[in-house]
Amino acid sequence: MAVPVQYYLVLSAAVFCIGLFGILTRRNALMFLMSVELMLNAANINFVAFSFQHGNLTGQVFSLFTMALAAAEVAVGIGIILVLYRNFADVDVTKATTLRW
Amino acid sequence: MMIEALVGLCLVGALVVFFAPDEYAGKLAFGWSLLPLALSALMYLNFDGRGNALLGGSLAFEEQFTWIALGPYELTWFMGLDGISMPLVVLSTLLTTLAILSAWTPIDERRNQFYGLVLFLEGSLIGVFGALDFFVWFVFWEAVLIPMYFLVGIWGGARRKYAAIKFFVYTNIASLVLFIGFFGLVFGLGDSISSLALPEIATALRAGELGPLAGGLIVPEQLRLLAFVAMFIGFGVKVPIVPFHTWLPDAHVEAPTPISVLLAGVLLKMGTYALLRFNFTMLPETARSLAVPIAAVAVISVIYGALLALGQSDLKRIVAYSSVSSMGYVILGLVAYTSYGIGGATFQMVSHGLISGLMFACVGVIYNVTHTREVGDMAGLADEMPLTVGALVAGAFAYAGLPLMAGFAAEFFIFVGAFQSTVIAGNGMAVMTALAMFGIVIVAGYLLWAMQRSLFGPFRFDGDYEVTRAARHDIAPLVVLIVVIIALGTFPNDTFFRMITDAVGPLVDGATAEAALGTGGGSP
Amino acid sequence: MAAESGVFTFAPAIAVLPFVSFLVALFAGKYMPKKGAVAGIAATAGSLLLSLVMLAQVASGHAHHMELYTWVGGEGVPFELTFGILLDQLSTLMLVIVSTIAFLVHVFSLGYMNDEGETGLPRYYAELGLFSASMLAFVFSDNVLMAFMFFELVGLCSYLLIGFWFRRPGPASAAKKAFLVTRFGDYFFLIGVVGIFATFGTGTFGGPGVEESFPELAEAAIAGGASVNTFFGLSPRAWFGVLGLLVLGGVMGKSAQFPFHTWLPDAMEGPTPVSALIHAATMVAAGVYLVARMYGFYALLPTVLAVIAFVGGFTALFAATMGVVKDEIKQVLAYSTISQYGYIMLALGGGGYVAGVFHLTTHAVFKALLFLGAGSVIIAMHHNENMWDMGGLKDRMPVTYYAFLSGSLALAGIVPFSGFWSKDEVLYETLVHGLGGSPLLLAAYAMGLLAVFFTGFYTFRMVLLTFHGEPRTDLAEDPEPVRWNVKIPLAILGVLAAVIGVINLVPVHALESSVPEFLHDWLYHGPEGLNGEHYHELITSPEFAGYSAGAIPGLGELGTLFASAGLSLAVALAGSAVALALYRAPAPEEHTAKLGSLKTLLYENYYQDEYQVWLAQDLTEETVAKNAKRFDDGVVDGFVDRVSDVSLVSGHFLRRVQTGIVSNYAALITLGLVVLLVAFGIVGGWFGGVFA
Repeated sequence: MAVPVQYYLVLSAAVFCIGLFGILTRRNALMFLMSVELMLNAANINFVAFSFQHGNLTGQVFSLFTMALAAAEVAVGIGIILVLYRNFADVDVTKATTLRW
Repeated sequence: MMIEALVGLCLVGALVVFFAPDEYAGKLAFGWSLLPLALSALMYLNFDGRGNALLGGSLAFEEQFTWIALGPYELTWFMGLDGISMPLVVLSTLLTTLAILSAWTPIDERRNQFYGLVLFLEGSLIGVFGALDFFVWFVFWEAVLIPMYFLVGIWGGARRKYAAIKFFVYTNIASLVLFIGFFGLVFGLGDSISSLALPEIATALRAGELGPLAGGLIVPEQLRLLAFVAMFIGFGVKVPIVPFHTWLPDAHVEAPTPISVLLAGVLLKMGTYALLRFNFTMLPETARSLAVPIAAVAVISVIYGALLALGQSDLKRIVAYSSVSSMGYVILGLVAYTSYGIGGATFQMVSHGLISGLMFACVGVIYNVTHTREVGDMAGLADEMPLTVGALVAGAFAYAGLPLMAGFAAEFFIFVGAFQSTVIAGNGMAVMTALAMFGIVIVAGYLLWAMQRSLFGPFRFDGDYEVTRAARHDIAPLVVLIVVIIALGTFPNDTFFRMITDAVGPLVDGATAEAALGTGGGSP
Repeated sequence: MAAESGVFTFAPAIAVLPFVSFLVALFAGKYMPKKGAVAGIAATAGSLLLSLVMLAQVASGHAHHMELYTWVGGEGVPFELTFGILLDQLSTLMLVIVSTIAFLVHVFSLGYMNDEGETGLPRYYAELGLFSASMLAFVFSDNVLMAFMFFELVGLCSYLLIGFWFRRPGPASAAKKAFLVTRFGDYFFLIGVVGIFATFGTGTFGGPGVEESFPELAEAAIAGGASVNTFFGLSPRAWFGVLGLLVLGGVMGKSAQFPFHTWLPDAMEGPTPVSALIHAATMVAAGVYLVARMYGFYALLPTVLAVIAFVGGFTALFAATMGVVKDEIKQVLAYSTISQYGYIMLALGGGGYVAGVFHLTTHAVFKALLFLGAGSVIIAMHHNENMWDMGGLKDRMPVTYYAFLSGSLALAGIVPFSGFWSKDEVLYETLVHGLGGSPLLLAAYAMGLLAVFFTGFYTFRMVLLTFHGEPRTDLAEDPEPVRWNVKIPLAILGVLAAVIGVINLVPVHALESSVPEFLHDWLYHGPEGLNGEHYHELITSPEFAGYSAGAIPGLGELGTLFASAGLSLAVALAGSAVALALYRAPAPEEHTAKLGSLKTLLYENYYQDEYQVWLAQDLTEETVAKNAKRFDDGVVDGFVDRVSDVSLVSGHFLRRVQTGIVSNYAALITLGLVVLLVAFGIVGGWFGGVFA
């Protein structure tokens, strides 16, 4: 028996909320990046679940794209974090505020 | 391809000069600017347009092809000249060349960029006067602002940044207003037009094909009124009309003199030219129904501008405010809807361009030497700089409307045209004209006052500079301008006025023409 | 026609020649031996010669009209604006007068300017040439627009020439004042010109071969034979009256009539030959000439005529009283000029067209003479113009003295000098038309008659103080001699001033009809619609001006003529006699102090300058203009700046939303998303009608 789609959605929502919580509460840039990954993967779960539900492969293909995008994003993100660390001797995102105004 | 060649020449010249070595930039730009000048002179001599460009006249140097076809409206590259735009093109090329010449002395840094921008400005101006498709026209209209912003902001006086930003923001907001107004009309016309070509829109609007907008919320009558007012304000800022004139004195005073020449000489004419092309050609009934407020604005601009000029002590400010005054006459002539009125208004655009150019150039030459423009800082300059002062006196009298100079011709045409106009019931235009004519007394007053104080009397100069005679290349533009002004004033018909009245003719409808012939009127 | 126009093809040269001399003097003057004077003399001599030829041609019955070129015309415009030349009796006479005086003044300038070692002579001769050209072109203009244009150009030349010595503050200021005051009059004139074109569609004065002229159209319109475009619902007569008064504004400005007379005394700051040419004989005459030129129009309008006459009479008296107390010789002459132009206005307004032109002619001669005579005295006195520093010049400069005396007798109106004949005719015409039933004209006549007394008085006061008695300064003891170039023009004009009256000896003609009234006949034989006879018909026609000639009860026409002449002569003699009695002494004393506070009033010119300066400077410039500037800077521009302030300030506060902390942005995004979701939910009814 296939698992009903609602379960996947609950799982996805839970993962998304964890990621969101991480973004809102954490100050460490690395944790930020990881939280973003969680949110992206929550979206991936939805893609795959609906794809499975509708018998349409487009969603699964799209999740592959998302993973590629996430990889790229992590690469850029870590690069930014490295620069951040070099400039501020810290990876606290609330400290780098000089770009405002 | 002549207009394209003209614009292209200017733009290529701009690029070449921009990257030319600094020390040759002035001479190179002057030499290069002779090319568009010669070309426009050639075009003037071979001008064969008939009628009004927007109302089915045959155009000179016409060029039209589909450029971008997306959505419901086709954007066409549409260029052409009629009797209204031809004189303005010649004015642009002539004044640019002279402005470049008069920039040799005062501009001493980043010359290549300066002259490059001036040539870019020239190209854009010609584009504005030549374009007959709204899209193309608007691109050029906005493009004019770019070089102007930098020219004022980089080479200007002490408050140049304030002036440049004020000029840019003010006129840009005005562009937004006119854009909204115009597109209100375009959307109101709906399917009755298939492109943004101005003649097509003008024809459709005059044929009464304007539909309601916003699902019937705005009926055509209101739409016409709203669009007219929006465009009037939008263009009026550029003219400038009172009370949207305050950017002008700041921009003029802060701009380097050659740029003041172009600003007063050509840029202001964009506003009146657009008013004529859009408001007064496309929405004649609305213009007539608003004749009282428009004429009132004109009279206020004339008198108030002249009074402001009387209250100034900076020579450049005096000339700047008197531009406000002179452009008021143009509005008065436009609203008259007689051939002398609109023709005179167009003639005034050219003549005021030349005369204010001359005045600014003279003030600039004096400033180059004395480094001051305050009337009270100097006296008796006539002895030290006889040629410059002679030119300034000539310019002042031209401004004051001395016969046989262009200013008198233009103003007289406007007065005659406006006086006999019937757009306001009960000969109201005659009263308005008589009121506006008082400007000729005030203008003589402040110019003679300023001249008496600064040019005549015993020589006195408070600055640290040695007052010497101006160089030949400073005097040359003045002489050329005086000659042209006298030629235009003595032979208005054979220079421009014939082609102007030919183009204006379709705008003046039968009823007015009949009244003008003296058959209408209130006599029993 | 071709043969007839043969000589006339040279008519434009009358104005072109001095214009060429303008160009020559301007560009090549400094390389020429007399700094451009030769060119000017040659040009004006040529103009004079050509004018005489034209006069002869017209005398042989060939008044001529020609189109020069079309200033504006073609299909596009409702009516053409053209330049053309009208040579008829009036204009050729005036051309001769103007070119004669211009020629003599050019010669005189050799003595006054060149011999005195003035600088800037090329400029002087250039401006003089330009003036001559514009004035001559004004005179032969065939339409009111062309007349206006050259009217303005002579105004420019007047400005330039008054301000010739621009290094001194006085001339610069006087030049400005002259231009502005006349400009104020020209404002009305320009409205009048515009109105004439808008009304009639033409501005032509008329003349042979002219189809439409505005005086004729106006005549037809009033008579009901033509329809013209009147304004404001006025009847043709009323509207033409308005137009006539508007044009009159320019006339009063240029001819220095009250209240626009204030510029003329100041204009004496210019070189004296300029005063003689421009501010006595020609440019000031342009105003009254214009009235004469379009007399066919004015003769239709009794109200306007009455205004002209009354203004003229009042100005004649008003200015004469001020001339009584002046100390500077040129000031006396300036007020005298204003007064005399008042007489010409009086004549024209009183229906005396011929009288007006007659006085215009004689006055041009004797006033130019008096100014040149004063110039000669001024040379001798090293540019001291105060008459109290002179005295006894009679024996030291006899040519000047006798010429000046001839002019003075003419000015005072002593028989048989020219001024007597013309002034007498002016007064006579006004009197008879006044007696014919116009009390206003009688009042104007009374003022004119009273002014004769003052004229006689100030004239002889001036002569006595300048030339008689003992020299009061060392310079007057041994004045600088003047040369031929001063004496010859004086001599010529001196003879003319004495005898020019013969052109119209009205009283003599009345006695002995074999003595012809040359001028009367001359003007009565002008082209159709432009001659004195036609004007006379209009003046007397009840449909138009409706003047009628009356006579002093019991004297008849002839008796009235002689009574009028006798009266004006007696008054003139009385005025002269008083002057002789008061100032004949070897060392005359100033009697002005006896006038008490009246003296101050007269010295201060009735405070006319004060209120005009107050109007122009204190009111317009200092109050209105400065407050307009304040309003503009504060309110209009202030509003613009406030708008930019509002956007700047609001931006200043709004930007605080941007904290720069990523977590805040993330929280905002989340919050926004939640709000959006809730909003969509409520609108879309997702919550099953909980909120419905």
